[in-house]
Amino acid sequence: MNTFHLEVVAPDCTPFCGEAERLLVKTTEGYIEILSNHTDYLATIGTGRAKITVNGKARTASVSGCFLSVKKNNVKLVVNTFEFADEIDLNRAIRAKEKAEEMLREGLDKEHKAKAEAKLMRAVTRISVAKRK
Amino acid sequence: MGSASLLEIKRSIKSVQSTMQITKAMELVATSKLRRAKERAEQTRPYHKALQEAIAQIIRYESTAGTSFAEQRKNPKTCFIVVAGERGLAGGFNNNIFRLTAALAEKCEGPVCYLPIGKKAIERFTYEKKEILTDEFVNISSFGVSKSLSLGNSIAKYFLDGTIDRAVIVYTEFVSMLSQVPTHSTILPLSPEPESDGDENVSLDDDPIYECPPDDMLKQIVPNYLGGSIYIALCESFAAECGARRTAMNSANKNAEEMLSNLSLSFNRARQAVITQEITEIVSGADAL
Repeated sequence: MNTFHLEVVAPDCTPFCGEAERLLVKTTEGYIEILSNHTDYLATIGTGRAKITVNGKARTASVSGCFLSVKKNNVKLVVNTFEFADEIDLNRAIRAKEKAEEMLREGLDKEHKAKAEAKLMRAVTRISVAKRK
Repeated sequence: MGSASLLEIKRSIKSVQSTMQITKAMELVATSKLRRAKERAEQTRPYHKALQEAIAQIIRYESTAGTSFAEQRKNPKTCFIVVAGERGLAGGFNNNIFRLTAALAEKCEGPVCYLPIGKKAIERFTYEKKEILTDEFVNISSFGVSKSLSLGNSIAKYFLDGTIDRAVIVYTEFVSMLSQVPTHSTILPLSPEPESDGDENVSLDDDPIYECPPDDMLKQIVPNYLGGSIYIALCESFAAECGARRTAMNSANKNAEEMLSNLSLSFNRARQAVITQEITEIVSGADAL
């Protein structure tokens, strides 16, 4: 099967770098699947599930923000957080979820509320990805 | 020369020795921290570069529309993000940064405010009674990726709501073990020319498909880019601080060794003098009998 070069770049590491067959990510507009020879493309990505297929084997991961760029069969997924399903610390995610929920219950100003909501979203995504693996 | 001066020399030898133990330990700690800080700075580079490229691409595409983040305002209020150290005892590390900041601030046209990172920077600007945006960033070693990203977010927000019109980050670049150079870079407003060099293969005519309006994309990407810039500057600065401290402690060790050899020389001389005196006294005492 045709492949493309995929690089996942996070602020403190490079979680994935190599040839991939498919990449499924959630952009801010919805899910998109990239195959090889996709046209040049740029999109911001939100918090959600990602799926990378290498040699017919798919690995899911939980991703949060920044953007996806496709340039001449070179795909760059630039993320703030990225964990493959088997790397997720489920207990930690559950704790983070509870904490975020508690923060939201306390009632905060707009800025903190947005932060807590983003936190909750990340935790929920992690939990769902980890449980589905 | 009596036994009093002998005791005194002995005491100063002891004090020099114990100081040397501390400086030696500090040198070792700085060396090991330095390696880790350098690694961290290296790991952030690809992320930062990817963001930089994307932003440059969008700005070129959007140049006619005039993006909100690239807007050059008149009589701009400049915010200096100054990254200094948590502690002293690192030679001229902290002072060099403050000197550069002061020189830059003098050249600014509009008003100036500061966002100090690191305990020394906060102390300095509070003492000088400068306008400080926030003084919550005391601790550098606990300043991780997520904190940098949220700081990037707040800076982007300050820029959009007009609290600040320019953002300059001032930090120390780690050149080598022996040389750390204070530098600065303007992170906002974005410049249409990409800062990165050696990127010749980018051409104007092949614009990609944009999933959403470029300006909206910038709104999401730029805060991350700012956060990434800050994180890199922090790692660089921390590595530079460790380097500066290592050098300072190294020369302190050398000084201590020199002092020790001088002191032990004069200790031996004094001891010899005491013995000689005692012998003379005994001999003359025996003569008198």
